[in-house]
Amino acid sequence: MTSDLSITIAGIKFKNPILTASGTCGYGEELAEVFDLSLLGGIVTKSITVKPREGHPPPRTAETEGGMLNAIGLANVGVDKFIEEKLKFLEPFETRVVVNVAGAAIKEYVEISARLADCPRADMVELNFSCPNVAEGMTIAGSAALAERAVREVKAVFPRPVMAKLSPNVTDIGEIARACEAGGADALSLINTLVGMAVDIKSYRPRLTNNTGGLSGPAIKPVALAAVYKVSRAVKLPLIGIGGIIDYRDVIEFMLCGASAVQIGTSLFVEPDAPIKIIKDLKKYLSENKLGAVKELIGKLRPY
Amino acid sequence: MSKIVIENLAIINKKEVGSGYFLLTLGFFSKTGTIKAGQFVHIRLPRSNIYFRRAFSIYDYNPGNKTIDLLFRVLGRGTAALAAMSPGETLDVLGPLGNGFKFPNKNETVLMAAGGIGMPPIYLLARQMVQKGFDPSRIFFFYGGQTKNDLVEISRIRKLKTRLYPATDNGSYGFKGLLTEAISSVINGKEARYRIFACGPEGMLKALDQFGRTEQIPGQLSLEAPMPCGIGVCLGCILPLRAGGYTRVCREGPVYDIGEVLL
Repeated sequence: MTSDLSITIAGIKFKNPILTASGTCGYGEELAEVFDLSLLGGIVTKSITVKPREGHPPPRTAETEGGMLNAIGLANVGVDKFIEEKLKFLEPFETRVVVNVAGAAIKEYVEISARLADCPRADMVELNFSCPNVAEGMTIAGSAALAERAVREVKAVFPRPVMAKLSPNVTDIGEIARACEAGGADALSLINTLVGMAVDIKSYRPRLTNNTGGLSGPAIKPVALAAVYKVSRAVKLPLIGIGGIIDYRDVIEFMLCGASAVQIGTSLFVEPDAPIKIIKDLKKYLSENKLGAVKELIGKLRPY
Repeated sequence: MSKIVIENLAIINKKEVGSGYFLLTLGFFSKTGTIKAGQFVHIRLPRSNIYFRRAFSIYDYNPGNKTIDLLFRVLGRGTAALAAMSPGETLDVLGPLGNGFKFPNKNETVLMAAGGIGMPPIYLLARQMVQKGFDPSRIFFFYGGQTKNDLVEISRIRKLKTRLYPATDNGSYGFKGLLTEAISSVINGKEARYRIFACGPEGMLKALDQFGRTEQIPGQLSLEAPMPCGIGVCLGCILPLRAGGYTRVCREGPVYDIGEVLL
C-alpha cells in the first residue's frame, strides 16, 4: 500500500507536507546542490523587501542550548532581482514556491505582492509581520488591527493564496490569528522566532550586534506546538507549523495539534538534507501504521 | 551544478601530537575526488549537546590510502567533543566546502604564513605545490606559535624541504617575535616577485593584509567566522568587503585576496 503524502492548502496541492522555512534556505540555490528541490512539498523563500538589504553587521547569529539566535536583519536581494533571477532559478522545479514578503510599512507588503501577482511561479505569499520598526509604529505581528488591514490590502492585489506568518511574541496569538482570518487570509504559518538574547561575559557585550535576536531550533518546539494547538481552536484556516522540527516524529506532533503541513527551518543548518529524510520516514510511518493518507493525522490530537 | 555531499567517515586514527593538539585521520570521501588546499569540512559532534557543526580546515589527504587528516587544538566545547572521539567511531561530515587557494605563478617566491592552528591549510597548499613541481626553495614557510610546544607537526613540514622559518612569541624556538616581523626580516627588497599565503589568528591576518597592501605584495588569506550552516544559507558567517556589502565566508571564502575583506 502506498500512502498519500499530499496535502491541499487553500486550493493548492502540495506533494507532501514538508516545506523549507523562510530565511533558512535562501532562494533554493544552495540546497539544490544538496538534494532535488522537486522532492519538497514546497520552498518558502527568504523574506524579500522592496529594496535590497545587506542586513545587520556581524555577529548576527549565536549558538544557544538546543538552538540559535539570529538577527540577520532581512538581508535580501530586493524584489526586482528576486523576480528576475531567483524566481527564474526556481522555475523548473516541481515544487510549490511560497514567497515570503517583508516591509517597513503595509504599503510595501502591498507593493511587493502586486509585483508577484504577475509571477505565476509564486504559488503563494507568506507575510512576515515580525519586522521591527514599521512605519505604523509597532510590529504588525503585535497588532490585530494592523494585521487584519495588511492581509486585506495584500488580498486585494494578489490573486493566489495569502498566508500570514504569526509571531509568538504577542499576548494572545489566537487574537492575531482571528484578525488575519477576518482580513481574508487563506492560511496561517506559525511560529516565527521568539525574542531572545545571549551575553558574552568577557566583553559584557550581547552576542549579537542587534543586541537581541530571534530564537529558533529544537528549544522552541514546545512553544510552537502549543501555539498551533491554540490557533487551531481559534480559527478555521489551514495552519502550517514551524518551530524546531528535526525529524518525522516532530512533524506528526505538529499535524496532530492541527497543522496541515510544516516548515523545516534551523534544522537545515545542521542537516541540510533533513527534509528528504523526514519525507522518507513519514512515508514509512504511514505505511507501518496503515494510514492511507497523511492528512488523516491533521488535528487528531486527543487532548485531556 | 556542483554537489554538496554529506558522508559518514570513519575515524581511523587519533593522535595527540602536542599538548591539546590532535591529529585525526578519517576515511576518504566516496563521492568526492579532489580537495583544494584551503577547503574545509563541517562536522557534527555526536555524544554532545552541541547543536551546530564545527568547521575544520583539511590538513592533508591521501586518495591512495583513502585518508583525510585533520589537525586541531582543543579550545572550546566543540573541539573537546571531537578530541573525545575514538578510532572506529564515525563522523557525519559535510564537505569539502569553500573555495580554496589559487596556486601561484611558477616565477614567484611564496611567503607562507602559518600562525598556530592556522597551519593546516598552509601546509596542504605547500605540499600540493611541491608535488606539482614548484621549487621548494622558493617557498618561505613561516610557522609561528606562542611557544615551541605550539609548533606541532613541524617534522611533516620539514619533509617538504621548503625554507622553514619557525617563530615563537617568547623565543623558545626560532625567531623571537611575531610572524610579520619574521617575514619582514627575511624578504629582500624588490628583488623577487613575492606572493603571500596565510592562515592564523585575526591579528596576524590583519597585519599581513596591511603589509601586503603597503608593500604591494599580492596574496591570499584564509579567514574564519563562526559558521552555523557551512553551505551559504544561514548568512551567519559574514565579513564586510572593502568594496561594500558582505561576503559569506563558507561560500565565497574562506580564502580571500589581500585587501578584499575589511579586516
